[in-house]
Amino acid sequence: MSTVFECRDLRYRYLDRFTALDGVSLRVERGETVALLGANGCGKSTLLKLLDGLLFADSGTFTAFGEEVTEDKLEDEQFNHGFRARVGFVFQNSDAQVFSPSVREEVAFGCLQLGLDRDTANTRVDDVLSMLDIADLADRAPFQLSGGQKKRVAIASVLVMNPEVLLFDEPTAALDPRTQFWLIELLEQLRSAGKTIVLATHDLDTLPDLADRCVVFSEQHRVVADAPTATVLDDRDLLLSANLIHTRAATAHSRTSRW
Amino acid sequence: MTTTTTTNTPAWLLQPEVGLCPCGCIGKRRKGSFVGKTLAGATGVLRQAMFSEDVAAGRGLLQRLDPRVKLVTMVGLLVVVALVHSLPILVGAYAATVALAVASGLSLGYFIKRVWLFIPIFTGIVVLPATLSVVTPGEVLLPLWHWHGHTHGVTEQGLHGAGIIVARVATSISLVVLLTLTTPWARLLAALRALGVPKIFVLIIGMAYRYLFLLLDAVDDMYTARKARTLVADTGRGEVKSGRRFVAAGAGTLFGKAHQLSEEVHQAMTARGYTGNARTLSGFRLRGVDIAFTLFAAALAVAILVADHKVGR
Repeated sequence: MSTVFECRDLRYRYLDRFTALDGVSLRVERGETVALLGANGCGKSTLLKLLDGLLFADSGTFTAFGEEVTEDKLEDEQFNHGFRARVGFVFQNSDAQVFSPSVREEVAFGCLQLGLDRDTANTRVDDVLSMLDIADLADRAPFQLSGGQKKRVAIASVLVMNPEVLLFDEPTAALDPRTQFWLIELLEQLRSAGKTIVLATHDLDTLPDLADRCVVFSEQHRVVADAPTATVLDDRDLLLSANLIHTRAATAHSRTSRW
Repeated sequence: MTTTTTTNTPAWLLQPEVGLCPCGCIGKRRKGSFVGKTLAGATGVLRQAMFSEDVAAGRGLLQRLDPRVKLVTMVGLLVVVALVHSLPILVGAYAATVALAVASGLSLGYFIKRVWLFIPIFTGIVVLPATLSVVTPGEVLLPLWHWHGHTHGVTEQGLHGAGIIVARVATSISLVVLLTLTTPWARLLAALRALGVPKIFVLIIGMAYRYLFLLLDAVDDMYTARKARTLVADTGRGEVKSGRRFVAAGAGTLFGKAHQLSEEVHQAMTARGYTGNARTLSGFRLRGVDIAFTLFAAALAVAILVADHKVGR
Protein backbone atom coordinates (compact mmCIF):
# COMPACT_ATOMS: atom_id res chain seq x y z
CA MET A 1 0.00 0.00 0.00
CA SER A 2 1.43 3.42 -0.90
CA THR A 3 0.73 6.70 0.79
CA VAL A 4 -1.56 9.09 -1.04
CA PHE A 5 -1.69 11.98 1.44
CA GLU A 6 0.53 12.81 4.36
CA CYS A 7 -0.07 15.82 6.58
CA ARG A 8 2.37 16.82 9.29
CA ASP A 9 1.44 19.28 12.03
CA LEU A 10 -0.88 21.37 9.85
CA ARG A 11 -2.07 24.65 11.34
CA TYR A 12 -4.57 26.96 9.73
CA ARG A 13 -6.35 30.09 10.95
CA TYR A 14 -9.02 32.12 9.15
CA LEU A 15 -8.25 35.86 9.07
CA ASP A 16 -5.26 35.14 11.33
CA ARG A 17 -7.70 34.90 14.24
CA PHE A 18 -10.01 31.93 14.06
CA THR A 19 -8.25 28.60 14.43
CA ALA A 20 -9.50 25.86 12.13
CA LEU A 21 -6.67 23.34 12.42
CA ASP A 22 -4.25 23.15 15.32
CA GLY A 23 -1.42 20.76 14.60
CA VAL A 24 -3.17 18.10 12.52
CA SER A 25 -1.20 15.10 11.31
CA LEU A 26 -2.73 12.47 9.10
CA ARG A 27 -1.82 9.78 6.60
CA VAL A 28 -4.10 8.33 3.91
CA GLU A 29 -3.08 5.15 2.08
CA ARG A 30 -4.09 4.20 -1.46
CA GLY A 31 -7.48 2.47 -1.67
CA GLU A 32 -8.48 3.42 1.86
CA THR A 33 -11.74 5.04 2.88
CA VAL A 34 -11.11 7.46 5.70
CA ALA A 35 -13.84 9.31 7.56
CA LEU A 36 -13.07 12.63 9.20
CA LEU A 37 -15.36 12.85 12.20
CA GLY A 38 -16.06 15.86 14.33
CA ALA A 39 -18.63 18.38 15.49
CA ASN A 40 -19.60 21.44 13.44
CA GLY A 41 -16.73 23.92 13.05
CA CYS A 42 -13.98 21.51 14.17
CA GLY A 43 -12.00 21.92 10.92
CA LYS A 44 -13.05 18.95 8.77
CA SER A 45 -14.02 21.03 5.74
CA THR A 46 -10.89 23.14 6.07
CA LEU A 47 -8.75 20.00 6.08
CA LEU A 48 -10.51 18.71 2.95
CA LYS A 49 -9.81 22.01 1.19
CA LEU A 50 -6.17 21.74 2.24
CA LEU A 51 -6.06 18.17 0.89
CA ASP A 52 -7.43 19.49 -2.41
CA GLY A 53 -4.89 22.31 -2.62
CA LEU A 54 -7.55 24.99 -2.37
CA LEU A 55 -6.24 26.38 0.92
CA PHE A 56 -2.66 26.31 2.17
CA ALA A 57 -1.59 25.74 5.75
CA ASP A 58 -0.02 28.51 7.81
CA SER A 59 2.54 25.95 8.98
CA GLY A 60 3.18 22.23 8.64
CA THR A 61 3.63 20.17 5.48
CA PHE A 62 1.22 18.45 3.14
CA THR A 63 2.46 15.78 0.76
CA ALA A 64 0.34 14.22 -2.00
CA PHE A 65 1.54 11.24 -4.07
CA GLY A 66 5.02 11.73 -2.62
CA GLU A 67 5.31 15.40 -3.61
CA GLU A 68 4.92 18.33 -1.25
CA VAL A 69 1.95 20.48 -2.26
CA THR A 70 2.43 24.22 -1.95
CA GLU A 71 0.76 27.25 -3.46
CA ASP A 72 3.87 27.91 -5.51
CA LYS A 73 3.99 24.34 -6.84
CA LEU A 74 0.32 24.39 -7.84
CA GLU A 75 1.05 27.38 -10.03
CA ASP A 76 3.19 25.07 -12.15
CA GLU A 77 0.96 24.02 -15.06
CA GLN A 78 2.05 20.40 -15.20
CA PHE A 79 1.93 19.82 -11.45
CA ASN A 80 -1.48 21.51 -11.21
CA HIS A 81 -2.82 19.45 -14.11
CA GLY A 82 -1.57 16.17 -12.59
CA PHE A 83 -2.83 16.98 -9.11
CA ARG A 84 -6.30 18.14 -10.25
CA ALA A 85 -6.70 15.08 -12.47
CA ARG A 86 -5.94 12.77 -9.54
CA VAL A 87 -7.96 14.44 -6.78
CA GLY A 88 -11.70 15.20 -7.02
CA PHE A 89 -13.66 17.18 -4.46
CA VAL A 90 -17.43 17.08 -3.93
CA PHE A 91 -18.38 20.23 -2.02
CA GLN A 92 -21.02 20.28 0.69
CA ASN A 93 -22.79 23.16 -1.01
CA SER A 94 -23.83 21.80 -4.40
CA ASP A 95 -24.93 25.27 -5.49
CA ALA A 96 -21.31 26.40 -5.41
CA GLN A 97 -20.22 23.43 -7.48
CA VAL A 98 -22.96 23.53 -10.10
CA PHE A 99 -22.19 26.86 -11.78
CA SER A 100 -22.60 26.18 -15.51
CA PRO A 101 -25.71 27.09 -17.51
CA SER A 102 -26.67 23.44 -18.13
CA VAL A 103 -26.07 20.05 -16.52
CA ARG A 104 -24.19 18.76 -19.57
CA GLU A 105 -21.82 21.74 -19.57
CA GLU A 106 -21.35 21.38 -15.82
CA VAL A 107 -20.39 17.73 -16.00
CA ALA A 108 -18.10 18.32 -18.98
CA PHE A 109 -16.31 21.26 -17.33
CA GLY A 110 -13.61 19.26 -15.51
CA CYS A 111 -12.78 17.02 -18.50
CA LEU A 112 -12.42 19.99 -20.80
CA GLN A 113 -10.19 21.90 -18.37
CA LEU A 114 -7.92 18.87 -18.20
CA GLY A 115 -7.57 18.87 -21.96
CA LEU A 116 -9.85 16.04 -23.10
CA ASP A 117 -11.26 16.58 -26.59
CA ARG A 118 -14.96 17.37 -26.98
CA ASP A 119 -15.98 13.95 -28.33
CA THR A 120 -14.32 12.07 -25.45
CA ALA A 121 -15.76 14.56 -22.98
CA ASN A 122 -19.25 14.12 -24.45
CA THR A 123 -18.99 10.33 -24.29
CA ARG A 124 -17.81 10.44 -20.68
CA VAL A 125 -20.60 12.87 -19.77
CA ASP A 126 -23.22 10.55 -21.28
CA ASP A 127 -21.77 7.54 -19.44
CA VAL A 128 -21.65 9.27 -16.06
CA LEU A 129 -25.11 10.80 -16.43
CA SER A 130 -26.64 7.42 -17.21
CA MET A 131 -24.63 5.75 -14.42
CA LEU A 132 -26.05 8.26 -11.91
CA ASP A 133 -29.50 7.97 -13.48
CA ILE A 134 -29.73 11.64 -14.46
CA ALA A 135 -29.45 11.38 -18.25
CA ASP A 136 -32.84 13.10 -18.57
CA LEU A 137 -31.45 16.18 -16.80
CA ALA A 138 -28.65 16.78 -19.31
CA ASP A 139 -30.14 19.90 -20.87
CA ARG A 140 -31.69 21.30 -17.71
CA ALA A 141 -30.55 24.55 -16.08
CA PRO A 142 -29.25 24.19 -12.49
CA PHE A 143 -32.04 26.33 -11.05
CA GLN A 144 -34.55 23.75 -12.26
CA LEU A 145 -32.99 20.99 -10.13
CA SER A 146 -33.92 19.78 -6.66
CA GLY A 147 -31.32 19.50 -3.88
CA GLY A 148 -30.84 15.75 -4.48
CA GLN A 149 -30.51 16.23 -8.23
CA LYS A 150 -27.93 18.99 -7.71
CA LYS A 151 -25.91 16.65 -5.47
CA ARG A 152 -25.97 13.97 -8.20
CA VAL A 153 -24.82 16.52 -10.78
CA ALA A 154 -22.03 17.68 -8.45
CA ILE A 155 -20.86 14.08 -7.98
CA ALA A 156 -21.11 13.43 -11.74
CA SER A 157 -19.01 16.52 -12.43
CA VAL A 158 -16.20 15.02 -10.31
CA LEU A 159 -16.55 11.34 -11.31
CA VAL A 160 -16.35 12.25 -14.99
CA MET A 161 -12.68 13.17 -14.42
CA ASN A 162 -12.07 9.67 -13.02
CA PRO A 163 -9.84 10.84 -10.15
CA GLU A 164 -7.85 8.43 -8.00
CA VAL A 165 -8.87 10.18 -4.81
CA LEU A 166 -12.32 11.45 -3.97
CA LEU A 167 -12.95 13.99 -1.22
CA PHE A 168 -16.53 14.33 0.02
CA ASP A 169 -17.62 17.11 2.35
CA GLU A 170 -20.70 16.04 4.35
CA PRO A 171 -22.00 13.95 1.46
CA THR A 172 -25.26 12.89 3.08
CA ALA A 173 -26.15 16.24 4.67
CA ALA A 174 -29.59 17.67 3.75
CA LEU A 175 -30.47 14.74 1.49
CA ASP A 176 -33.70 12.76 1.66
CA PRO A 177 -33.40 9.12 2.82
CA ARG A 178 -33.63 7.65 -0.70
CA THR A 179 -30.85 9.90 -2.04
CA GLN A 180 -28.78 9.20 1.09
CA PHE A 181 -29.07 5.48 0.52
CA TRP A 182 -28.23 5.87 -3.15
CA LEU A 183 -25.13 7.87 -2.23
CA ILE A 184 -23.97 5.30 0.31
CA GLU A 185 -24.31 2.57 -2.31
CA LEU A 186 -22.34 4.68 -4.77
CA LEU A 187 -19.55 5.24 -2.23
CA GLU A 188 -19.42 1.48 -1.58
CA GLN A 189 -19.11 0.89 -5.34
CA LEU A 190 -16.32 3.43 -5.68
CA ARG A 191 -14.57 1.95 -2.70
CA SER A 192 -14.68 -1.55 -4.15
CA ALA A 193 -13.38 -0.11 -7.44
CA GLY A 194 -10.21 0.82 -5.53
CA LYS A 195 -10.72 4.57 -5.21
CA THR A 196 -9.24 6.34 -2.22
CA ILE A 197 -12.01 8.18 -0.43
CA VAL A 198 -11.81 10.80 2.30
CA LEU A 199 -15.12 11.99 3.64
CA ALA A 200 -16.02 14.51 6.29
CA THR A 201 -19.15 13.60 8.18
CA HIS A 202 -20.90 13.36 11.50
CA ASP A 203 -23.36 10.76 10.32
CA LEU A 204 -22.22 7.77 12.40
CA ASP A 205 -24.97 5.36 11.34
CA THR A 206 -23.56 4.72 7.88
CA LEU A 207 -19.89 4.58 8.85
CA PRO A 208 -19.46 0.82 9.52
CA ASP A 209 -20.36 0.08 5.89
CA LEU A 210 -18.33 2.92 4.48
CA ALA A 211 -15.09 3.74 6.24
CA ASP A 212 -12.05 1.60 7.02
CA ARG A 213 -10.67 4.16 9.40
CA CYS A 214 -11.92 7.18 11.30
CA VAL A 215 -9.98 10.30 12.24
CA VAL A 216 -11.75 12.08 15.09
CA PHE A 217 -11.39 15.84 15.60
CA SER A 218 -11.94 17.55 18.92
CA GLU A 219 -13.73 20.85 19.19
CA GLN A 220 -10.24 22.28 19.83
CA HIS A 221 -9.40 21.51 16.14
CA ARG A 222 -6.96 18.69 16.95
CA VAL A 223 -6.97 15.02 16.00
CA VAL A 224 -7.90 13.04 19.12
CA ALA A 225 -8.18 9.60 17.59
CA ASP A 226 -7.12 7.79 14.43
CA ALA A 227 -8.24 4.17 14.47
CA PRO A 228 -10.28 1.54 12.62
CA THR A 229 -13.97 2.42 12.36
CA ALA A 230 -15.16 -0.31 14.73
CA THR A 231 -12.70 0.80 17.44
CA VAL A 232 -13.78 4.44 17.18
CA LEU A 233 -17.49 3.65 17.17
CA ASP A 234 -17.11 1.42 20.23
CA ASP A 235 -15.41 4.18 22.21
CA ARG A 236 -18.43 5.91 23.74
CA ASP A 237 -16.34 8.34 25.82
CA LEU A 238 -14.39 9.45 22.77
CA LEU A 239 -17.57 10.10 20.79
CA LEU A 240 -19.08 12.00 23.71
CA SER A 241 -16.00 14.15 24.20
CA ALA A 242 -15.83 14.94 20.47
CA ASN A 243 -19.51 15.97 20.54
CA LEU A 244 -20.42 13.26 18.05
CA ILE A 245 -23.06 11.75 20.32
CA HIS A 246 -24.96 13.11 23.29
CA THR A 247 -25.44 11.33 26.59
CA ARG A 248 -29.21 11.30 26.17
CA ALA A 249 -29.13 10.15 22.56
CA ALA A 250 -26.46 7.61 23.43
CA THR A 251 -28.58 6.16 26.21
CA ALA A 252 -31.58 5.85 23.90
CA HIS A 253 -29.38 4.42 21.16
CA SER A 254 -27.68 1.87 23.44
CA ARG A 255 -30.92 -0.09 23.64
CA THR A 256 -30.72 -0.86 19.95
CA SER A 257 -27.10 -0.46 18.96
CA ARG A 258 -23.53 -0.12 20.13
CA TRP A 259 -23.77 3.14 22.19
CA MET B 1 -14.82 19.97 28.44
CA THR B 2 -18.62 20.03 28.45
CA THR B 3 -20.19 16.87 27.20
CA THR B 4 -23.75 17.62 28.24
CA THR B 5 -25.81 20.74 27.72
CA THR B 6 -28.86 21.93 29.61
CA THR B 7 -31.40 24.41 28.32
CA ASN B 8 -32.24 27.26 30.68
CA THR B 9 -35.79 27.78 29.49
CA PRO B 10 -37.24 31.05 30.80
CA ALA B 11 -40.42 30.63 32.85
CA TRP B 12 -42.55 32.75 30.49
CA LEU B 13 -41.83 30.36 27.63
CA LEU B 14 -43.39 27.55 29.62
CA GLN B 15 -46.62 29.51 30.24
CA PRO B 16 -49.47 29.88 27.71
CA GLU B 17 -49.47 33.37 26.15
CA VAL B 18 -52.40 35.45 27.43
CA GLY B 19 -51.86 38.64 25.48
CA LEU B 20 -52.68 37.30 22.02
CA CYS B 21 -55.05 39.23 19.80
CA PRO B 22 -58.66 37.99 19.68
CA CYS B 23 -59.63 35.97 16.63
CA GLY B 24 -61.97 37.22 13.91
CA CYS B 25 -61.97 39.97 11.27
CA ILE B 26 -62.65 43.65 11.88
CA GLY B 27 -62.74 44.55 8.20
CA LYS B 28 -59.44 46.44 8.20
CA ARG B 29 -57.03 45.43 5.45
CA ARG B 30 -53.54 46.63 4.66
CA LYS B 31 -51.94 46.83 1.25
CA GLY B 32 -48.65 45.09 0.51
CA SER B 33 -45.47 47.12 0.99
CA PHE B 34 -43.17 48.20 -1.82
CA VAL B 35 -40.63 45.59 -0.71
CA GLY B 36 -43.23 42.84 -0.93
CA LYS B 37 -44.40 44.00 -4.33
CA THR B 38 -40.85 44.22 -5.68
CA LEU B 39 -40.03 40.76 -4.42
CA ALA B 40 -43.28 39.33 -5.76
CA GLY B 41 -42.32 40.80 -9.15
CA ALA B 42 -38.84 39.31 -8.96
CA THR B 43 -40.22 35.90 -8.01
CA GLY B 44 -42.60 36.21 -10.96
CA VAL B 45 -39.62 36.77 -13.26
CA LEU B 46 -38.02 33.63 -11.83
CA ARG B 47 -41.13 31.56 -12.49
CA GLN B 48 -41.38 33.02 -15.98
CA ALA B 49 -37.75 32.07 -16.68
CA MET B 50 -38.46 28.50 -15.58
CA PHE B 51 -41.55 28.42 -17.79
CA SER B 52 -39.65 29.82 -20.77
CA GLU B 53 -36.96 27.13 -20.43
CA ASP B 54 -39.73 24.54 -20.91
CA VAL B 55 -41.10 26.42 -23.92
CA ALA B 56 -37.60 26.74 -25.37
CA ALA B 57 -37.17 22.99 -25.13
CA GLY B 58 -40.37 22.43 -27.18
CA ARG B 59 -40.61 21.12 -30.73
CA GLY B 60 -41.78 24.24 -32.62
CA LEU B 61 -40.32 25.73 -35.80
CA LEU B 62 -37.76 28.03 -34.21
CA GLN B 63 -36.84 25.55 -31.47
CA ARG B 64 -35.62 23.13 -34.14
CA LEU B 65 -33.13 25.63 -35.56
CA ASP B 66 -29.45 25.87 -34.75
CA PRO B 67 -29.11 28.68 -32.17
CA ARG B 68 -26.31 30.31 -34.19
CA VAL B 69 -28.63 30.57 -37.20
CA LYS B 70 -31.36 32.01 -35.02
CA LEU B 71 -29.01 34.52 -33.42
CA VAL B 72 -27.55 35.73 -36.73
CA THR B 73 -30.89 35.90 -38.58
CA MET B 74 -32.62 37.67 -35.71
CA VAL B 75 -29.84 40.26 -35.43
CA GLY B 76 -30.00 40.72 -39.22
CA LEU B 77 -33.77 41.20 -39.12
CA LEU B 78 -33.37 43.66 -36.24
CA VAL B 79 -31.06 45.79 -38.40
CA VAL B 80 -33.53 45.61 -41.31
CA VAL B 81 -36.43 46.66 -39.06
CA ALA B 82 -34.36 49.61 -37.82
CA LEU B 83 -33.93 50.77 -41.44
CA VAL B 84 -37.62 50.59 -42.42
CA HIS B 85 -39.56 53.88 -42.56
CA SER B 86 -42.95 52.68 -43.77
CA LEU B 87 -45.66 52.05 -41.19
CA PRO B 88 -47.60 49.39 -43.18
CA ILE B 89 -44.41 47.43 -43.79
CA LEU B 90 -43.47 47.58 -40.12
CA VAL B 91 -46.94 46.37 -39.22
CA GLY B 92 -46.50 43.55 -41.73
CA ALA B 93 -43.15 42.63 -40.19
CA TYR B 94 -44.74 42.58 -36.75
CA ALA B 95 -47.47 40.27 -38.09
CA ALA B 96 -44.71 38.00 -39.43
CA THR B 97 -43.17 37.75 -35.93
CA VAL B 98 -46.58 36.81 -34.53
CA ALA B 99 -46.90 34.12 -37.23
CA LEU B 100 -43.44 32.79 -36.27
CA ALA B 101 -44.49 32.70 -32.61
CA VAL B 102 -47.55 30.64 -33.52
CA ALA B 103 -45.45 28.31 -35.70
CA SER B 104 -43.11 27.82 -32.76
CA GLY B 105 -45.93 26.78 -30.45
CA LEU B 106 -45.73 29.85 -28.21
CA SER B 107 -48.83 30.97 -26.39
CA LEU B 108 -50.11 33.90 -28.47
CA GLY B 109 -51.54 35.75 -25.46
CA TYR B 110 -48.28 35.42 -23.52
CA PHE B 111 -46.18 36.48 -26.50
CA ILE B 112 -48.27 39.58 -27.24
CA LYS B 113 -48.50 40.53 -23.56
CA ARG B 114 -44.76 40.20 -23.10
CA VAL B 115 -44.13 42.57 -26.00
CA TRP B 116 -46.86 45.12 -25.38
CA LEU B 117 -46.56 45.35 -21.62
CA PHE B 118 -43.50 47.58 -21.71
CA ILE B 119 -44.09 49.51 -24.92
CA PRO B 120 -46.64 51.98 -23.46
CA ILE B 121 -44.35 52.56 -20.47
CA PHE B 122 -41.04 53.11 -22.22
CA THR B 123 -41.83 54.06 -25.83
CA GLY B 124 -45.20 55.69 -25.12
CA ILE B 125 -43.68 58.30 -22.82
CA VAL B 126 -40.97 59.10 -25.35
CA VAL B 127 -43.23 59.42 -28.42
CA LEU B 128 -46.19 61.16 -26.78
CA PRO B 129 -44.76 64.71 -27.11
CA ALA B 130 -43.83 63.97 -30.75
CA THR B 131 -47.52 63.63 -31.63
CA LEU B 132 -48.19 67.27 -30.68
CA SER B 133 -48.13 70.12 -33.19
CA VAL B 134 -45.50 72.02 -31.15
CA VAL B 135 -43.00 69.23 -31.86
CA THR B 136 -44.28 67.85 -35.19
CA PRO B 137 -46.16 70.55 -37.14
CA GLY B 138 -48.90 69.39 -39.50
CA GLU B 139 -52.63 68.86 -39.84
CA VAL B 140 -54.21 68.94 -36.39
CA LEU B 141 -56.54 65.95 -35.93
CA LEU B 142 -57.30 66.43 -32.26
CA PRO B 143 -57.31 70.10 -31.14
CA LEU B 144 -56.17 70.53 -27.55
CA TRP B 145 -55.48 74.27 -27.04
CA HIS B 146 -55.23 77.62 -28.89
CA TRP B 147 -52.20 79.91 -28.85
CA HIS B 148 -52.05 83.29 -30.68
CA GLY B 149 -54.90 82.27 -32.93
CA HIS B 150 -53.37 78.94 -33.88
CA THR B 151 -54.92 75.60 -33.00
CA HIS B 152 -52.56 73.14 -31.34
CA GLY B 153 -53.01 69.44 -30.64
CA VAL B 154 -52.26 65.99 -31.97
CA THR B 155 -51.22 66.11 -35.64
CA GLU B 156 -51.54 63.50 -38.36
CA GLN B 157 -47.80 63.68 -39.07
CA GLY B 158 -47.04 63.34 -35.37
CA LEU B 159 -49.27 60.27 -35.06
CA HIS B 160 -47.67 58.73 -38.13
CA GLY B 161 -44.16 59.27 -36.74
CA ALA B 162 -45.18 57.90 -33.34
CA GLY B 163 -46.80 54.92 -35.04
CA ILE B 164 -43.57 54.15 -36.90
CA ILE B 165 -41.51 54.26 -33.71
CA VAL B 166 -43.98 52.12 -31.74
CA ALA B 167 -44.27 49.56 -34.57
CA ARG B 168 -40.48 49.43 -34.93
CA VAL B 169 -39.99 48.93 -31.19
CA ALA B 170 -42.75 46.29 -31.05
CA THR B 171 -41.25 44.36 -33.98
CA SER B 172 -37.73 44.57 -32.55
CA ILE B 173 -38.85 43.40 -29.11
CA SER B 174 -40.87 40.61 -30.74
CA LEU B 175 -37.76 39.38 -32.55
CA VAL B 176 -35.73 39.37 -29.33
CA VAL B 177 -38.55 37.68 -27.40
CA LEU B 178 -38.82 35.07 -30.17
CA LEU B 179 -35.12 34.36 -29.88
CA THR B 180 -35.06 34.11 -26.08
CA LEU B 181 -38.30 32.15 -25.76
CA THR B 182 -37.30 29.53 -28.32
CA THR B 183 -33.67 29.04 -27.28
CA PRO B 184 -32.64 27.48 -23.97
CA TRP B 185 -30.29 29.83 -22.12
CA ALA B 186 -27.40 27.37 -22.22
CA ARG B 187 -27.66 27.01 -25.99
CA LEU B 188 -27.91 30.75 -26.48
CA LEU B 189 -24.66 31.18 -24.54
CA ALA B 190 -23.05 28.38 -26.56
CA ALA B 191 -24.15 30.12 -29.76
CA LEU B 192 -22.56 33.37 -28.59
CA ARG B 193 -19.33 31.48 -27.96
CA ALA B 194 -19.50 29.75 -31.32
CA LEU B 195 -19.94 33.12 -33.01
CA GLY B 196 -16.72 34.41 -31.49
CA VAL B 197 -17.86 36.28 -28.37
CA PRO B 198 -14.96 35.96 -25.86
CA LYS B 199 -15.35 32.83 -23.68
CA ILE B 200 -14.66 34.60 -20.42
CA PHE B 201 -17.40 37.14 -21.20
CA VAL B 202 -19.92 34.37 -21.93
CA LEU B 203 -18.81 32.48 -18.79
CA ILE B 204 -19.40 35.56 -16.63
CA ILE B 205 -22.87 36.20 -18.12
CA GLY B 206 -23.78 32.53 -17.64
CA MET B 207 -22.70 32.51 -14.02
CA ALA B 208 -24.35 35.85 -13.27
CA TYR B 209 -27.64 34.49 -14.63
CA ARG B 210 -27.22 31.20 -12.75
CA TYR B 211 -26.56 32.83 -9.37
CA LEU B 212 -29.15 35.55 -9.83
CA PHE B 213 -31.78 32.90 -9.15
CA LEU B 214 -29.99 31.63 -6.07
CA LEU B 215 -29.58 35.10 -4.60
CA LEU B 216 -33.16 35.97 -5.48
CA ASP B 217 -34.22 32.91 -3.51
CA ALA B 218 -32.12 34.09 -0.57
CA VAL B 219 -33.78 37.52 -0.65
CA ASP B 220 -37.20 35.91 -0.88
CA ASP B 221 -36.40 33.73 2.15
CA MET B 222 -35.23 36.75 4.15
CA TYR B 223 -38.38 38.68 3.32
CA THR B 224 -40.67 35.74 4.07
CA ALA B 225 -38.94 35.20 7.43
CA ARG B 226 -39.45 38.86 8.29
CA LYS B 227 -43.06 38.83 7.11
CA ALA B 228 -43.82 35.72 9.15
CA ARG B 229 -42.77 37.59 12.30
CA THR B 230 -44.43 40.93 11.47
CA LEU B 231 -47.62 41.02 13.48
CA VAL B 232 -48.39 44.71 13.92
CA ALA B 233 -49.46 46.63 10.85
CA ASP B 234 -47.05 49.52 10.43
CA THR B 235 -48.60 52.19 8.25
CA GLY B 236 -47.53 55.36 6.51
CA ARG B 237 -44.02 56.74 6.86
CA GLY B 238 -43.10 54.17 9.51
CA GLU B 239 -43.65 51.35 7.08
CA VAL B 240 -41.60 53.01 4.36
CA LYS B 241 -38.79 53.63 6.86
CA SER B 242 -38.78 50.05 8.17
CA GLY B 243 -38.98 48.79 4.58
CA ARG B 244 -35.95 50.87 3.69
CA ARG B 245 -34.08 49.58 6.72
CA PHE B 246 -34.91 46.01 5.71
CA VAL B 247 -33.71 46.60 2.14
CA ALA B 248 -30.43 48.10 3.41
CA ALA B 249 -29.82 45.27 5.88
CA GLY B 250 -30.83 42.70 3.26
CA ALA B 251 -28.46 44.19 0.70
CA GLY B 252 -25.61 43.94 3.20
CA THR B 253 -26.40 40.34 4.07
CA LEU B 254 -26.77 39.47 0.42
CA PHE B 255 -23.44 41.07 -0.39
CA GLY B 256 -21.79 38.91 2.27
CA LYS B 257 -23.50 35.78 0.96
CA ALA B 258 -22.58 36.59 -2.64
CA HIS B 259 -18.96 37.13 -1.63
CA GLN B 260 -18.80 33.81 0.24
CA LEU B 261 -20.48 32.03 -2.66
CA SER B 262 -18.12 33.56 -5.21
CA GLU B 263 -15.14 32.28 -3.21
CA GLU B 264 -16.62 28.78 -3.07
CA VAL B 265 -17.47 28.80 -6.78
CA HIS B 266 -13.91 29.80 -7.60
CA GLN B 267 -12.61 26.97 -5.41
CA ALA B 268 -14.98 24.52 -7.13
CA MET B 269 -13.66 25.66 -10.52
CA THR B 270 -10.03 25.46 -9.41
CA ALA B 271 -10.63 21.98 -7.98
CA ARG B 272 -11.61 20.82 -11.47
CA GLY B 273 -8.57 22.22 -13.20
CA TYR B 274 -9.64 25.77 -14.07
CA THR B 275 -6.62 28.03 -14.36
CA GLY B 276 -8.13 31.07 -16.04
CA ASN B 277 -8.80 29.73 -19.52
CA ALA B 278 -12.28 28.19 -19.61
CA ARG B 279 -12.80 25.43 -22.15
CA THR B 280 -16.40 24.69 -22.98
CA LEU B 281 -18.56 22.30 -24.98
CA SER B 282 -19.88 23.60 -28.27
CA GLY B 283 -20.31 21.50 -31.34
CA PHE B 284 -23.23 22.63 -33.45
CA ARG B 285 -24.03 21.14 -36.84
CA LEU B 286 -26.01 22.95 -39.54
CA ARG B 287 -28.91 20.98 -41.03
CA GLY B 288 -31.20 21.49 -44.01
CA VAL B 289 -33.82 23.28 -41.95
CA ASP B 290 -31.18 25.80 -40.77
CA ILE B 291 -30.09 26.60 -44.31
CA ALA B 292 -33.71 26.88 -45.43
CA PHE B 293 -34.51 29.28 -42.59
CA THR B 294 -31.42 31.38 -43.30
CA LEU B 295 -32.48 31.70 -46.97
CA PHE B 296 -36.05 32.53 -45.91
CA ALA B 297 -34.84 35.20 -43.47
CA ALA B 298 -32.50 36.68 -46.10
CA ALA B 299 -35.32 36.76 -48.68
CA LEU B 300 -37.64 38.36 -46.13
CA ALA B 301 -35.04 40.99 -45.28
CA VAL B 302 -34.51 41.87 -48.95
CA ALA B 303 -38.27 41.93 -49.59
CA ILE B 304 -38.83 44.28 -46.64
CA LEU B 305 -36.07 46.65 -47.75
CA VAL B 306 -37.23 46.69 -51.40
CA ALA B 307 -40.87 47.21 -50.42
CA ASP B 308 -39.90 49.99 -48.03
CA HIS B 309 -37.85 51.66 -50.75
CA LYS B 310 -40.77 51.49 -53.21
CA VAL B 311 -43.34 52.74 -50.67
CA GLY B 312 -40.95 55.51 -49.65
CA ARG B 313 -40.78 56.76 -53.27
